[in-house]
Amino acid sequence: MSKLVYYFIFFVLIMGIGANWVINKANSSYEFPIKKPVPEFSFYNQDGKLFSEKNLEDKITILDFFFTSCAGPCPIMAYNMKELYHDFSKIQEIQFVSITVDPKIDSETKLKQYAEVQGVYDSRWQFLFSDLDSIKNLKRNGFMLYADELPQGHAVKFVLIDQNGLIRKYFDGTDDASIASLRKDITYLAKNLKF
Amino acid sequence: MKEINYLNFKHNMKLFRIFSYISTGLTYSLIFIGGMVRVSGAGMGCPDWPKCFDRWIPPTNIHQVPEQYVDQFNLVLAWIEYCNRLFGALVGLTITITLIFALRYYSHVSSIKWPILMAFFLTLVEGWLGAVLVHTVLNPVTITLHLLLALIIVMLLLYAAQEAYYIQNPEIEKSSRYPANIGWLFGLLSFALITEIILGTEIRGGLEMIRKENPLVESEFLLYMLGPFKYAHTILGFLIAGISGLLWYYLVKKSMNPSSLIMQSSTLILIFIMIQIISGEILVFFELVPIIQLFHLWIASWILGLVSIQYCAWKKSLLSHE
Repeated sequence: MSKLVYYFIFFVLIMGIGANWVINKANSSYEFPIKKPVPEFSFYNQDGKLFSEKNLEDKITILDFFFTSCAGPCPIMAYNMKELYHDFSKIQEIQFVSITVDPKIDSETKLKQYAEVQGVYDSRWQFLFSDLDSIKNLKRNGFMLYADELPQGHAVKFVLIDQNGLIRKYFDGTDDASIASLRKDITYLAKNLKF
Repeated sequence: MKEINYLNFKHNMKLFRIFSYISTGLTYSLIFIGGMVRVSGAGMGCPDWPKCFDRWIPPTNIHQVPEQYVDQFNLVLAWIEYCNRLFGALVGLTITITLIFALRYYSHVSSIKWPILMAFFLTLVEGWLGAVLVHTVLNPVTITLHLLLALIIVMLLLYAAQEAYYIQNPEIEKSSRYPANIGWLFGLLSFALITEIILGTEIRGGLEMIRKENPLVESEFLLYMLGPFKYAHTILGFLIAGISGLLWYYLVKKSMNPSSLIMQSSTLILIFIMIQIISGEILVFFELVPIIQLFHLWIASWILGLVSIQYCAWKKSLLSHE
């Protein structure tokens, strides 16, 4: 064999070893800093049942704040949440929680109607309400999100909470790239949950 | 004086050939790096384009990341994608230099000038497609188009380099005689190969969709969930093996004095197709190992390049006997 062939085989080997190293490095590069635990709360869902921080245990939760009559970023957030809800439909351990910041308007009935419009057919997506002060408190002190001038001034963040009720990451609920990143993180957490 | 001019001309022609080889080699490496970005999930490593996290050099820690991008920052993925872009820029630069040499010394040879011009134009389109990929958060059709254009670019570069080689070595392929009526076989093989590569990217896209919906499923079950679609890829793979076997038979066995280039490229195509069948079956029956997926695609691009080399040599021989 000519020298050129040996060089070529050597080059391909180096590329292969390098790529293998890079792929392994990429697979182990996901970082999940623990921000803080979700504090105690006790709200009602669209079926009038209590939902508290205990319902976050043993599940991966994606949580956001919204209100049903919001015409700004909420429809985009709802669309993205709906996509995630349908895409992860086969895994009961992944749940979605949307908390209204306009409890005056968003009653139990209103939230139930809203859930139907979003195509929610099981308990994996919960819509919660409570009194405004409790919501404000949870949002500001529990999730460290902007909670002034509600309902209009609500944040557009999706919060990723792990199976131990710990806040792990925040994502922009209106941004496709951010949602793509969230998908990867959900998958990563879900894998570690099961195996 | 005439002799100095001739030597200069020879030197310049050599310079063009060297750059066309470098461009081809680097483009092949870029196809590999692009595949690596895909299998390592680093396609969105930089959420903006052309900058990465609003910086020309990506951040080395989270504190350098602008507020709106904090949730998307992954140091490793950002640098993988950034290296891909840097390498892309290097390839763009070498193709531009190759184009300058082509226009300067081969503006009268349309079989060199036009392929290089075309490759340069498609390289610009590739850069633009890179931006579209980021803005559409890796649209699957755009990913396939991005790969296809890279394959066309590499074939154009190879073609021009080989034409330049024949201008400097006009005697080559003169003593060889190949069957004249096999042009359709090259067309058929190239078409089948490109279809096969598209099918392969579709399978990978399909697997990603299934993985997205079933993230907890082990990789060996993913292919079962893909359904009968994957069989088309396997069947076409065996057809390609048949077509290249036939081409080998015509070019090596049914020819008079075939050149070493034709013999080597024909044999290499068969060897690579065997490797492809084996690696493909490993992916189907054992596990979807990312590094095998990556080489499976890269070797497919080599086969396409070798078919282009075969065609160019065959055509050269035919023309020299007209």
